[in-house]
Amino acid sequence: MNASSSTTARGPRLALASLPGQHTLALLWANRQGRLGLVLIGLHLLLAVAGRWLAPHDISAGDSLASLLPPSAEHWLGTDQLGRDVLSRTLAGGREAIYTSLPAAVLAVVWGSACGMLLAIIGGRVENIAMRLVDALLSIPWLLFLLLVIGVMGPGPLVFILTLGIFYGVAVVRVMVTACREVLCLDYIQAARLRGDSLMRLLWREIKPNVLDTILVELAMRWSWALLAFSSLSFLGFGVSPPTPDWGLMVADGRGFMSFAPWAVLPPIVALSSLIIAINLVADTLAKTLGIDRAGRPE
Amino acid sequence: MKKPLIAAIGLAAFAQLAVPQLAHAETLRTPHWVEFSGKESLDPISPTRFYSANQLIYSRLVRQGSKGEPVSDLASEWQANPAADEWTFTLRDGVSFHNGKALSADDVIYSFTRLLDPERDAPARAALSVIEDVSVNEAGQIVFRLSQSHADLPILLMDYRAKIVPVGFDDDTSLQGIGTGPFKLVEFDPQGTTTFEAFADYWEGAPKLDGMDLIGIPDDNARTQALLAGQIDWSGWNGVNAQQLRLFSSNPAYHYDSIATGDWRGMVFRADDEVFQDVRVRRALRLVADREEMVNLLFGKGGATITCDNPVWNGDQYKLAQQCPQDLDTARSLLSDAGYADGLEIDVYTSGVDNYFRPMTELYQRQAAEAGITVNVHNVPAADYWNTAWMKKPAFTTAWGQRPTDQVLNEIFQSEANWNESAYKNPEFDALLAKARATLDDEARTELYHQAQALLTETGATLIPFHLNNNRVMKREVHIPAVEHFAIRWHQVDKQGES
Repeated sequence: MNASSSTTARGPRLALASLPGQHTLALLWANRQGRLGLVLIGLHLLLAVAGRWLAPHDISAGDSLASLLPPSAEHWLGTDQLGRDVLSRTLAGGREAIYTSLPAAVLAVVWGSACGMLLAIIGGRVENIAMRLVDALLSIPWLLFLLLVIGVMGPGPLVFILTLGIFYGVAVVRVMVTACREVLCLDYIQAARLRGDSLMRLLWREIKPNVLDTILVELAMRWSWALLAFSSLSFLGFGVSPPTPDWGLMVADGRGFMSFAPWAVLPPIVALSSLIIAINLVADTLAKTLGIDRAGRPE
Repeated sequence: MKKPLIAAIGLAAFAQLAVPQLAHAETLRTPHWVEFSGKESLDPISPTRFYSANQLIYSRLVRQGSKGEPVSDLASEWQANPAADEWTFTLRDGVSFHNGKALSADDVIYSFTRLLDPERDAPARAALSVIEDVSVNEAGQIVFRLSQSHADLPILLMDYRAKIVPVGFDDDTSLQGIGTGPFKLVEFDPQGTTTFEAFADYWEGAPKLDGMDLIGIPDDNARTQALLAGQIDWSGWNGVNAQQLRLFSSNPAYHYDSIATGDWRGMVFRADDEVFQDVRVRRALRLVADREEMVNLLFGKGGATITCDNPVWNGDQYKLAQQCPQDLDTARSLLSDAGYADGLEIDVYTSGVDNYFRPMTELYQRQAAEAGITVNVHNVPAADYWNTAWMKKPAFTTAWGQRPTDQVLNEIFQSEANWNESAYKNPEFDALLAKARATLDDEARTELYHQAQALLTETGATLIPFHLNNNRVMKREVHIPAVEHFAIRWHQVDKQGES
């Protein structure tokens, strides 16, 4: 028996969860909220790749006579303190954040899911000890933890990806253990065990397809958290180096002028917020469509 | 009958409303930036000295005149012996502390003895280390004996920490906050509101204000908003930056002045680094800077004073006038001679710890690129910057406060100075400084300091593009003399002046 032919107390959930990626996308697209999220994410991904070429002005070039100019026909979103075009920098400013946070989220979900599924299968004392360790790690304030690790290792794309990926994977472990517990008690898993399936086969063929929905939602959630974390680190000075535009850094540089030049700080805030909201829209739609209720209520 | 009654009630109500406002009309509400997070000390020589409060409470022997020159404060006059290694100061008569005790020579000796005590953590000692001994002579004058000749001791004594406190200051806590300054401490609350009342017996005359409130507002933007909301009467010692000034410049409820100061920001290329040890590279790195563009973008046109890698500020009597336009051709030529004909790539460390560091570095990066210099900017978190980047990396941004010529050159650029952040070592420069200290003739001393400044501009390892202006914004009724903050006479400040 495999996942596609199994049933659970939640009825059609399994059938949907086991569908290939394009069907998941189709489900998202069918929902207005999901569609909006997908469009916004797609737009941001496009800008991350091509933002520098789409920008109307050079992202680094400034004009000594154009400091903090308000929006105009030449500079649609005005200029920053160094006379640089805010629109151009905003368009290109998500690149580093997305390039870092997305791999970090994937890393978090891959290792967190694998670890969570394994612990759920092993169970017993090992699972108990591991989960207490997870609880302890989750009680550490995330920003403090990130600052500590990056402070020791030094900032850099690889360090960000590894730090964010490893840290956010801890939360995934907890979620996945809970999700797998629901699956492990089902008859077909017992049957697979009695049949003598190997651990890897059990994980890959029987459990994974039935928790794929949770994995997808976790991926979206962890991406939005990683994005927010990266921008926060950038705001604090741990992120990218000038003159590379970055939303967090743009907010840090422009906040001093908020009272009289809001155009220098609002565009990166709107851009960052829109991406995080889009990711959350997708996560919510996934959760609802695939049958996961993050508040814990069965659908 | 009813109308007069209503009028009387209305008048009484108006009076009720008006009286409390009048009662506070002469108290100047001043923000301070809570520099030490509540650990502010009323001890003027403490590393956590409460600068804003101590300026009001205590006095020095010598203070800054309107042009930065030494003028008398508690000392009415002074003179040096021919070798300039012994100075005699005459104390002013009729000066009393806030507790009524008369100022005496013992208080001065006590104050300097504790300042120079090597067991005590007093940062000011480094600036005044030339003083070997302080005593009183038969005429009741204060005698400073120096370890070496120093023609500018009065300038050193202008240090803002060299305040006079009463004998017993260390042992009697009730004397903490007792000085001879224009305002008496009433309540000490550095994170809240520290209150003062006018000292009627201040030697220079009773202050025009009834009192002052020092209100702790750490955040720069919050201070600006508090001023806009009328919660404070002026921007405080720090002033506002050039961009914030736009909020007030056309508002008739406020007026402002922009005072040149000796505070500066810069970029250090350490002379002990493999690349920067070549004086041609160092000079090229400084020649590529377009200082005018930096000033225009960071402060607005005329918002700061361009300087040519010379830390001596325009208000200083020894300042050497220099010109230093961007010179890309000479920079390229120097780099070519130094073996970097194909360009040079350097790493510069900066941080958001100072408002001007990052934009200054980004601008420099842009300007240096025009001469084939690639500047990789490394952004260091504010909390770590001073410990991990400053004086640790080969190139980094730096910030210094106003100091007189002798002090700034000796403390930061002399070969053996503890704070020689640029690792600049030049025996010729050191010799000029030593000679200037021992030269009593004003003209000759000025010439020596000019030579030292020219040499530093030519061979130094620090890019100093500008000295900052202090933009002080005041409510229309507040009048503060338009001089740099060390030279403000606080007893003359009033809140009813027409600007």
